[in-house]
Amino acid sequence: MSDDTTADATSPQPSADEQLDALELSEEERLVLARVADIVRRINYGTVVLVIQDGKVVQIEMAEKFRLR
Amino acid sequence: MSDLVVPEAAPVATPEDRGPKLAVRDLVKTRRSTSGAIVTAVDHVTFDVRVGEFVCLLGPSGCGKTSILNVLAGLDEPTSGQALLDGRPITGPGPDRAVMFQEPALFPWLSVAGNVELALKLAGVPAAERTDRARLWLANVGLAPFADAQPHELSAGMRQRTQLARALATDPEVLLGDEPFGSLDAQARELLQDEMQRVWLERGGQKTFVFVTHNVREAALLADRVLVMTAAPGRLLEEVRISAPRPRQLDDVLVARVVSDVHELLMREVVRARAEGSDRPIVQEDEER
Repeated sequence: MSDDTTADATSPQPSADEQLDALELSEEERLVLARVADIVRRINYGTVVLVIQDGKVVQIEMAEKFRLR
Repeated sequence: MSDLVVPEAAPVATPEDRGPKLAVRDLVKTRRSTSGAIVTAVDHVTFDVRVGEFVCLLGPSGCGKTSILNVLAGLDEPTSGQALLDGRPITGPGPDRAVMFQEPALFPWLSVAGNVELALKLAGVPAAERTDRARLWLANVGLAPFADAQPHELSAGMRQRTQLARALATDPEVLLGDEPFGSLDAQARELLQDEMQRVWLERGGQKTFVFVTHNVREAALLADRVLVMTAAPGRLLEEVRISAPRPRQLDDVLVARVVSDVHELLMREVVRARAEGSDRPIVQEDEER
């Protein structure tokens, strides 16, 4: 997901920045992505679920797992 | 966008908090079997429960879940380690902790309302208040028309609802449940699970719930945190923190996913325990093991 995971210099793939620019994300969409990124950074193992209604993310749910032994 | 529902930061008990509501510290519980050998039921278990949290202890039968709950309820003492309520060792049962058992344990000679009123009397509620409070809570669990019935006239689900009303009427800070819906049929169980979610929501996260169950779906549906235990002797295996708004449904994607993950983990654990022959309680011939 970070800039350099797919940053093969010779790759014809557009960079993450270019892809994001091309999407012309709305304020709402950027907020959702920021929230998801924040959760992804916090969790080592788990699941994130986006609940979408009428084309909009209305809810983000998550379950985080910790191995105790 | 302000109505986007996002999970709050993972609930972690930190030293800056005012401290956990309940704390289990290195708890060991052994008992002597009929043959005289010492059996370890709970093996060095440590966890915290924060104020307003709903925690489910989940594990294969015989893994020591009930032993832990009995220590928290003050019905049993730790062999070693500690169980703390508000930072103080638990020395016995108290009105601050209500317990729901698998069998409702209602007094058969008292009416439904009488059972609830007795709990209120024991909790020190003035006589003038008891009737109203009992009726209110019976209405809350849908039993208002049965207030004057005798327990034997009720279905199993209704007896369990009576127990729930009795437990909550005294306004305890902590509700402990030992497989409280375990003996119910699937429909009654689902109704009561919905009831529990509603009660938790209405109490505004002020009440602390610890439920023991071997039902993965129940745990995923109800809990903020699921503590998965190993087969006997019981140790903590995995913790799952679930951040999804309530009321939840069993077919919610996240709930279904947690159920499937935890179910798989438990099945692996049961198979492992069988292979090692440790699905029977481990018997210690000497103190060392």
